[in-house]
Amino acid sequence: MTSSNVSRRGLLRTAALGAGTLALGGGLSACGSGSPSSAADALTYWDWYVTQAPWVDKEIELFEKAHSDVSVKKTTQQNAKYPDLVALANRSGNPPDVFMIPQVPSVAEQVAKGWLHPLDEWATPAWQARFPEGTFLEGANVFGGKVYSAPLKGSGPQLQLYVHHGVFKSAGLTNPDGSVKLPRTWDEVTSAAQTITKKSGGKSYGFGFGNADGIGVLAWWLDLFVRGAGAPGGAPTVPGTGMDYRVGKWTFGTDRAYADFLELFVEWKKRGFFHPNSVSLSDEAARAFFERGKFGMTVGGVWNQPEWTQHKFTDYSLVTLPSPTATPKGYYYADPVGNGTFAAVSAKSKKAHEAFQWLDALTSPAAGRRWVEDLNGVSAHPANNNPDGIDSKPFAAFIGMTEQVLRGPVPLVRNPELAGVAPSVPKPDISDVVTGVYTGQIKDVQGALSSLADKKYQLLSDAVAAVAKQGKKVSMSDYVFADWDPTKPYTTKKKA
Amino acid sequence: MSLLDTRERKRASPTPPRAAAHPGLGQRIRAAKWSYLYLAPMAVLLLAFVVYPIFASFGYTFYRWNGIGAPGDYVGLANFRQILHDSIFWGAVGHTFVYAFVLVPVQLLLALALALVLNNPKLKFALFFRTVYFIPVVTSAAVVGVVIQLMLANFGDSAGSLLAKTGMTNGHIDWLGNPHTALAVIIAIGIWHTLGYNLVYFLAGLQTIPAELYEAAKLDGCGPVQSFFRITIPLLRQVGVVIVVLAFIGSFQVFDLVQVLTGGGPYFATEVVNTYIYHLAFGGSAGAAAEPDIGLASAASFLYGLLLIVFSALQVLALRGISRRRAAADQ
Amino acid sequence: MSTLSQRPRPRTRLSLRQGRRGLLYLALLGGGLIWLYPFLWALGSSLKSTDGFFSGGLNPIPSEFHWSNYSEAWTQADFSRFFVNTVLFATGTVIVTLLATSMAGYVLARTEFPGKKIWLGLVGVTLFLPHGYTIIPVFDLIQRLHLLNTLWSVVIVQSAGGMVFGTFLFMGYFTTIDRGLEDAARVDGANFHQIFWRIMLPLSGPMLATVGLFACINAWNSFFIPLVFTLSRPELHTLSVGMFNFIGQNSTAWTLVCAGSVITLLPIVLIFIVLQRFFINGLAGAVKQ
Repeated sequence: MTSSNVSRRGLLRTAALGAGTLALGGGLSACGSGSPSSAADALTYWDWYVTQAPWVDKEIELFEKAHSDVSVKKTTQQNAKYPDLVALANRSGNPPDVFMIPQVPSVAEQVAKGWLHPLDEWATPAWQARFPEGTFLEGANVFGGKVYSAPLKGSGPQLQLYVHHGVFKSAGLTNPDGSVKLPRTWDEVTSAAQTITKKSGGKSYGFGFGNADGIGVLAWWLDLFVRGAGAPGGAPTVPGTGMDYRVGKWTFGTDRAYADFLELFVEWKKRGFFHPNSVSLSDEAARAFFERGKFGMTVGGVWNQPEWTQHKFTDYSLVTLPSPTATPKGYYYADPVGNGTFAAVSAKSKKAHEAFQWLDALTSPAAGRRWVEDLNGVSAHPANNNPDGIDSKPFAAFIGMTEQVLRGPVPLVRNPELAGVAPSVPKPDISDVVTGVYTGQIKDVQGALSSLADKKYQLLSDAVAAVAKQGKKVSMSDYVFADWDPTKPYTTKKKA
Repeated sequence: MSLLDTRERKRASPTPPRAAAHPGLGQRIRAAKWSYLYLAPMAVLLLAFVVYPIFASFGYTFYRWNGIGAPGDYVGLANFRQILHDSIFWGAVGHTFVYAFVLVPVQLLLALALALVLNNPKLKFALFFRTVYFIPVVTSAAVVGVVIQLMLANFGDSAGSLLAKTGMTNGHIDWLGNPHTALAVIIAIGIWHTLGYNLVYFLAGLQTIPAELYEAAKLDGCGPVQSFFRITIPLLRQVGVVIVVLAFIGSFQVFDLVQVLTGGGPYFATEVVNTYIYHLAFGGSAGAAAEPDIGLASAASFLYGLLLIVFSALQVLALRGISRRRAAADQ
Repeated sequence: MSTLSQRPRPRTRLSLRQGRRGLLYLALLGGGLIWLYPFLWALGSSLKSTDGFFSGGLNPIPSEFHWSNYSEAWTQADFSRFFVNTVLFATGTVIVTLLATSMAGYVLARTEFPGKKIWLGLVGVTLFLPHGYTIIPVFDLIQRLHLLNTLWSVVIVQSAGGMVFGTFLFMGYFTTIDRGLEDAARVDGANFHQIFWRIMLPLSGPMLATVGLFACINAWNSFFIPLVFTLSRPELHTLSVGMFNFIGQNSTAWTLVCAGSVITLLPIVLIFIVLQRFFINGLAGAVKQ
């Protein structure tokens, strides 16, 4: 083996390998553009809809048929990473033409940072009139007088108690006519759970949930049960929400409803009504267990339904707002802010006109009806929320519940300058507290509730102060609606 | 030698000849030019993509920033103060240390034992067994997570009813949902998941020990235990130290498995530092989208890094102390 | 007479050894089955129906075999294209990692040069420091280099992540190699390059295989880096990114995820089997020559 030749050969070999990889890599990045819908006329669209993908795909098909010169190239990103990816795409200067608006940062900030394209050229008042009154709200989807988005979804009751017919029937919880006896009050729920757990001999439990993924499942339980007891703030996990607007504060510590329900919750656990694996199951596994009747009741929202319907499981009912008393003292309140946006056109898009047409198609009344028919949820166009023609009984029941959603105070209507307020999330937050109470790790329940309420208030004040520093006229008093009666619809008036 | 051309004879070896007592700095740099060249690729990648981001992130710790645009809201040391006062942070540090200090000794002992067994050239199906014990390493954390969760839920059913019959416990144990057992279960799964790495390291390390040594020892009458302690351990020490250090560092950075199995719960009972930081940056543990706080997450990251450096410095000092004492004893 | 007295002894020794060996095999096999059980469960689940996934209990064997899960995972997630991307990406990462870390490891372990202590310290400290919290500085740097949305950027960033571990491992390994070899080669007139490429590098077979294998695995399973650096070019996605297409906001196509991870993991297992020669039948003997 001669010296120099071999060492040079070795170096050359590695260099050749490296060059080869370079060529391949370069080649690949070049040949990526040779895809069928060539980059030139395809509209790029980003979303995070996986279970709702059939609806999106159908809309794409219909859109492309109606507009022969435009094609839509959809990319579905993972929900958890979605805000990051949109931020990075905007940072790189190469964002998609149309994208579902990420939940963070606030829409106000996205507009301020120049991410979104104003739509007024096409979203004329006549176009806006297609949507119900009050849809276009300064601070929600209108900024500086310009329209940036339109809603797809409407407001339904966020959470319900799901009741498994099979389990209830085996436990004998039926009416004389054979239908399932739906529990509507705290006491009825308790006794139903007791009956199920006792009568099934360990095969089935009264309640179950899946708390492993940290999406705040236990906050749902608190939220659902507490509203009817007169705590209109409930226990939502979205930052900055959950205040009792009558006093403009979080009342976790001061409103008895919270502590009372938590006491009952722990009581249920101690008496063995919960499926023992609930804390470590994923939410999805819990849905599968519910399907198989491993427990009789669970709390969730309309997102449970598509999966169950796909598995041909429709033998369940929904109960909303179980309360200590026969009639609830608080309800779910419509969320014009949260539902006001869906997708937007990128400010950097070179095909803004086509992009708007796609957006228009997605938020049209016809598409909304198909959304409802696909059992995805409630449409922003009230006419679509008609239970007739819906095959699934539970879904039809859900649609029918939209009347249980009242209009409540909307601080943003009163003072649009609140748009940029972005409070941080305390740690632990309300779902952590409920988990800690459930497992027994939190011994001082009242203390935990009070300190959390105070912390949330502090974080909101800080966020408001930060916005005020920018010269906007905002204050904590914008959140106080002393004349609000939670049992009646309320119309927010703009601040003078 | 005659085949070498003169050019190459002129290229001296990297170490300067002993004759020149103290060559100047410039001369030494020139003499070591190949060292620099060979160091360069790693150095460039390291500086550009590892060191630079660390400095940049350090800059972020002084701001409250959500990652959009450039940081603008200067808050000084507020982020550090917030982390230092957060009991959940310290809890996470504690859990991570427990995880590392239980996992590393147990896993390394198991891996070494397995490596010794599987290194035997006379073992049939060795290839098969090595692959079997290695496979968990390659399975993605997401899949491991859902599989283990379901397995424990179902296993709990059978084990629970068994235990209930003996009267020991009243039914079902929720292994991952019970704050007292969750961390232990995660450690066990951690041991299982990454043992393959250390198995491979030990197998590679055992290769540096020539077989003749063992044969010579056997001729001298050494039993397997003696040859293990007199040959294997001393010769493995160099590589062994590296393996131990890497194992500790790997465990201090645990994230995927914990996030997927319990998300740090229940109620932070299994929160480790990386899940803590992840939750800081991705909206609390409620999963509801909240603004990322890059400054706070970076500050937590730095504090943790500092803790680890202090800890490792102590480790190095301790090891040096031990070897110095041993050297003194040998004299 | 002597043969008579000798005969029983070999037999008992042999049967004892056989008995002990049989026990060993049994233990290894049993341990192996328990060890592999979660993986077997995932493998079985990849063939189950979605319903069977949750109702099967501890039983890994599916009630019906849904081979369609594999074809569905393959087509739905555009796996063929992602497979090629992943192979290119992993190969590039392994080559870059092995070259850079072996060279640097050698230099740091065996040569003297001004500033060596500083570099040693840097590598050591970086080992312990958390690698920053956000991807943004790296993203900006790659953007400035105009490398965004190419597979090259993914290779570079992924390899950079493996620099410290790899260098550390090679450093440790090269320190154990007998200095006598190097000195003998130098006496023979070998220069710097020849010593490294013809003597040291071939000797580090086990470490090459180890570092290479782990660089390959990390690249193969890497999710965030390939995702971020090919944002606007979804056709450049890798397998692990493609698999995340099955994970929705509220529900996941678990049987497809399991099928996807089996597809993803088989090549690695094959590579492991091929590389095993280097861990085991290494060049241990060569050291003494």
